[in-house]
Amino acid sequence: MRNKIAVIAQHADNRIDPVTYEAVSCALELCAGETSCIQIIVPGDRVEKVAQEISGETGIDTIALENELLKIYNAEAYTSALVTFFRQRAPGYILIPHTSVGYDFAPLLAIKLEASCITAVKQVNGSDGTTAFVHEVFDGRLYAEVVSKTKTTVITIQPGAWEPLGRQPGKSGIVETRNVTVNPGKTRTIAFRQSDYQGAALANSEVIVSAGRGIGKKENLSLIYEVAKLFPRSALGCSRAVCDAGWLEYSHQVGITGSTVSPKLYFAIGISGAVQHITGIKGAQVIVAVNSDPAARFFTIADYCIVEDLTQFIPTLVEEFKKKYGSFSK
Amino acid sequence: MKILVCVKQVSVPGTYPAADKPPPGFRINSYDEYALEEALLLKERIEKTTVHAVSAGPERVTAVIKRAMEMGADQGMHIRYEQEEQLTPYQVATLIASYARDRQYDIILTGVMADDDMQMQTGQMIAGILGYPYASSVVSHEIREGRTMYVERECDARQRQCLEIEMPCVLTIQSGINRPRYPSLSNILRAKQQKIESINALDLPEARETEVRLFSPGIKPKGTILQGTRREKAVQLLEILHEKALL
Ligand SMILES: Cc1cc2nc3c(=O)[nH]c(=O)nc-3n(C[C@H](O)[C@H](O)[C@H](O)COP(=O)(O)OP(=O)(O)OC[C@H]3O[C@@H](n4cnc5c(N)ncnc54)[C@H](O)[C@@H]3O)c2cc1C
Ligand SMILES: Nc1ncnc2c1ncn2[C@@H]1O[C@H](COP(=O)(O)O)[C@@H](O)[C@H]1O
Repeated sequence: MRNKIAVIAQHADNRIDPVTYEAVSCALELCAGETSCIQIIVPGDRVEKVAQEISGETGIDTIALENELLKIYNAEAYTSALVTFFRQRAPGYILIPHTSVGYDFAPLLAIKLEASCITAVKQVNGSDGTTAFVHEVFDGRLYAEVVSKTKTTVITIQPGAWEPLGRQPGKSGIVETRNVTVNPGKTRTIAFRQSDYQGAALANSEVIVSAGRGIGKKENLSLIYEVAKLFPRSALGCSRAVCDAGWLEYSHQVGITGSTVSPKLYFAIGISGAVQHITGIKGAQVIVAVNSDPAARFFTIADYCIVEDLTQFIPTLVEEFKKKYGSFSK
Repeated sequence: MKILVCVKQVSVPGTYPAADKPPPGFRINSYDEYALEEALLLKERIEKTTVHAVSAGPERVTAVIKRAMEMGADQGMHIRYEQEEQLTPYQVATLIASYARDRQYDIILTGVMADDDMQMQTGQMIAGILGYPYASSVVSHEIREGRTMYVERECDARQRQCLEIEMPCVLTIQSGINRPRYPSLSNILRAKQQKIESINALDLPEARETEVRLFSPGIKPKGTILQGTRREKAVQLLEILHEKALL
């Protein structure tokens, strides 16, 4: 049973991405809490400290897989290191966080290992000895349950789907450092850099009023501004679709590839609630959603759900506000 | 330069709420429109560039190949099979890779994700099978000296990975990189007269995983659904926000 499940840690600049611990939680669910079945792998250059920290937190055996070509993430180099490592002992499952690094190399790893590949998994179902992996399809309106037919299965874990495994005191795992040969391939990463669009205003806001594609046209942003004006201090957010359409700059984008926000109030107007969007608002205290579709995904996480056409609801809301408070608060 | 763009036919958003009913309409995968536009922009910049569009699927997917030609693709290829059920990304990648293998494409473009199966695998797998380098979720790129491409990938939390890869290569294109064009009248007329090349996928590669169930998770609202008329909802919301000291 040993080493049945490998978890690939996500880390950069000596910092461990907490999604690593979410993937460990999934691994524990898959092996019914039997930590000896799990091995955590930290590919990188001089990552023994990182491996020690992960092992110290989880009490699970951890391997630092080292080569200087792994200093900065590169799909080909990463995959080459993992393939060399796994060829000796291919585990049943290889769990990788579904991040912009994880979903980049997981399919290549699967091809090289002749493994099946199931991505963005958010749930594991087991019955009659088979394990099925659930992931969203069709914008999350439907879920698909998938079963692997190969000895090894590469799985990417949707961020936020599992609670991160908390510190496990009293348990300790073995940390091992291993040098691995790496073929750099035809890819060279020059750098990771911050994009030119900054989201600082959003990150620190107490109230965020956010627009989605449901506003229909750029002119309707004026409605969103009117809602924003109801609050003394608020910032304007939006979904990626609004930026892609050129209605707002990317600095306003909320979500996994935009800003992660934790306001007291998140007011979502005409946003469907795609997983990439709502992962970015996990920290919001109160969520209000306005959407004309009663089946909108946003309603599954909103505290207050308003099923209305925004073009009609917002003017009414603003009118009622004026009746109650006289004028705008700013 | 030769560019291949992979286009997938997906069900129209908003028309697939039921797991047990066939979708009433189809369209081109939204991310593939961005991929196609990128190819057409390269064609406009670089002389002697040809753009081919390929789709794998049953007869109905020729509609998106036509659409790609109407947008400006020079040729359309259909990798045909009969079954209506979706293939897995591995199966599709195998079919497209074996089609592309001896055809000397310099760049193969796909969308970052299919709107329907949301797997984000096919492009990387095509590259893996062909032994080409790749970059997923590309938001900008540039052809540098020789056979090198400079690429920026969109990463989480507003990060970008800047990398260099050798051609031939595969790029999976993220939304927002451009504004996909509408078909022009002249291209619509040209596409009408052009034939779509068709190849039968006789032996489908064996799937490595199977979908055993498709189900609706059900919409279980977590919070309060405000009731009443529009005006009553507005008044209630203001009261709630006031109580919570948010107004
Ligand atoms: C790798 C990757 C990363 C991504 N990162 C992000 C990210 O960081 N942030 C992000 O937001 N997205 C991200 N996305 C995109 C995401 O998947 C969705 O496509 C996007 O969030 C959809 O935006 P939307 O909800 O505004 O549009 P849609 O999904 O089109 O939703 C529009 C909504 O408006 C409603 N509506 C329509 N008309 C009205 C009306 N008159 N009144 C009220 N409601 C109305 C509709 O019912 C619908 O629910 C990412 C995608 C990928 C592949
Ligand atoms: N049947 C298909 N025919 C052509 N291209 C496809 C097909 N399936 C997937 N693709 C391409 O692969 C991309 C990613 O799909 P997926 O891996 O399924 O999320 C899509 O955006 C398409 O460009």
